[in-house]
Amino acid sequence: MNHTIIKTNNLVKTYRRYKKREGIRGSIASLWKRDHEEKKAVDHIDLSVEKGEFIGLIGPNGAGKTTLIKMLTGIIAPTEGSIDILGYYPNDLKNEFKKQYAVVMGQKSQLFFELTVNDTLRLFKEIYEIPEEDFQKTKHYLVELFGVGELMDVQVRTLSLGERMKMELIVALLHNPKILFLDEPTIGLDAVASKQIRGFLKEINQRNGTTIILTSHYMEDIKTLCQRTVVINHGMKIYDGTTDELFDRYQKNKKVIATFENPVEDIKIKTQNVVLLEDAPYKKVYEVAKRFSKNLLAELMEYEPKDIVAEEEEISVIVERIYQDGGECRG
Amino acid sequence: MGKYLEVSKTYMKTQLVWRADVIFNMIFTITKILFACLLWGLVFQNKEMVGQFTFHGMLSYYIISSFLSQLEMSDGISSEIHDRIRNGTFSKYMVIPVGIEKYFMAMELGIVSFYIIFDFIAAVIWIFVFQIRFVFAEEAWLIICAVIMTILGMIFMVQLNFFLGVLTLKYQGIGTFLMIKNNLAALVTGGIVPLALFPEIIVRIMQVLPFYYVTYLPAMLLTGMCKNEAITGIAVIAGWCLIMQFSIHVVWKKYLRKYDGVGI
Repeated sequence: MNHTIIKTNNLVKTYRRYKKREGIRGSIASLWKRDHEEKKAVDHIDLSVEKGEFIGLIGPNGAGKTTLIKMLTGIIAPTEGSIDILGYYPNDLKNEFKKQYAVVMGQKSQLFFELTVNDTLRLFKEIYEIPEEDFQKTKHYLVELFGVGELMDVQVRTLSLGERMKMELIVALLHNPKILFLDEPTIGLDAVASKQIRGFLKEINQRNGTTIILTSHYMEDIKTLCQRTVVINHGMKIYDGTTDELFDRYQKNKKVIATFENPVEDIKIKTQNVVLLEDAPYKKVYEVAKRFSKNLLAELMEYEPKDIVAEEEEISVIVERIYQDGGECRG
Repeated sequence: MGKYLEVSKTYMKTQLVWRADVIFNMIFTITKILFACLLWGLVFQNKEMVGQFTFHGMLSYYIISSFLSQLEMSDGISSEIHDRIRNGTFSKYMVIPVGIEKYFMAMELGIVSFYIIFDFIAAVIWIFVFQIRFVFAEEAWLIICAVIMTILGMIFMVQLNFFLGVLTLKYQGIGTFLMIKNNLAALVTGGIVPLALFPEIIVRIMQVLPFYYVTYLPAMLLTGMCKNEAITGIAVIAGWCLIMQFSIHVVWKKYLRKYDGVGI
């Protein structure tokens, strides 16, 4: 049976920001009179999330994704509209509500950099009032899952970015939250670390039934993990539907990047619908229609590349196509 | 309570990481005492008493006052809150199930508990090194009053710094408030010159302000002076704590909605 745990109606967030004319004259004038402008970061968003869903929240920079997450976690108050998360209004900042969720933001940390992860976990055990037995059990499970046993007693500041992100996730998951908000968890991570993190998140979602809301700039994150995707642009929801449909309908091309050990001058490509984006002796970048990408990869393999990668299109291209399609909102 | 005790322990652990800081903090307690020895040595050259102080009474006052002011480290709270609100990372505290003010109290307790041990050792060492005939209160009730007043004074300073930090939600910058607070506190806490040497009218004005009860009066009580102010002093600083708590409640409720966490 479906069980709605997040519900927003007509959610609006307007920021007021200070404006100043450039130069010293503008600065002096601003001593007397200050101009402000209002920016709508989130514009009448309705969102309904069922228990156990893994949702991708995507959109270009400044689209309003992080603002939406901040409102859902109670960090900021909405200007208009209503939010109901597990029966709570987030901005009341009730401790009982805060125990129901966890938030991991790629650019913020809950870890104490001077101490070890074990020290931080001990603190969070007390903060979330986790019984000792549950704490040991969950900690053991997460440490095994993330494969970080040997890193638990080293100073956090000496960890790599990927290791640190794993630790942030362990801290966030320690109290078995019902909802996990992830804001760009793979930002700055290399391909291997990103793939590992994706694997862990999938396991957490499937094993524990944790509802996960993920924002990411990497289409690979969304495609691999999320059954449902919400696309936001200029604060408005422009797509809300299955991830498969989003990619089938709006992702037309792939970007293929081939790098070579030795310089390669003339590659004759026979595959249809291919555009050469970058042509350097050691590197070739192509854009190819999704359905022909297999053919292009096969052709390029004949030149024995050092490495070959097929990337998804960037979010901005997909957003543009949704607009061209009438900015239809599904779901 | 367990969670706040763990917060204190965690911050105490963070202090222990920086060994050089510990050693230098102990060594630098000497500068104030050296300064006091030189200055008051000159003043007392041809006099037995200055105000109510003998030379050794004055040095005892300096050692106690310097020990207490060394423990008053709540400045970091206002700057931590200010910086985090301005760069949008204050949410670190908002998303965990704790009372944020209590968290900062516990943080301060952790840091102070750590320094209390080392600063105490330093103070004892300097008393022996400078061969000071230490003047200390003999009555137990006076010592208890001084300890209670010191604790309330520390709580007040945490509250004040928390309050000023939270004002960032409204004013975005609190540099002016901090400057006023720091200057006022430096003078009224008696860290520069014992307030007993000021004209009576000035002292009366200062007695209304909470800073008088943060380090100055506890230091005086511990050196056996100002006994008649002990009980009223506790009442006044407790009153200031209540006023400050009410102000925090009002400001927090009113301005929290202004937090927008921009910049990330």
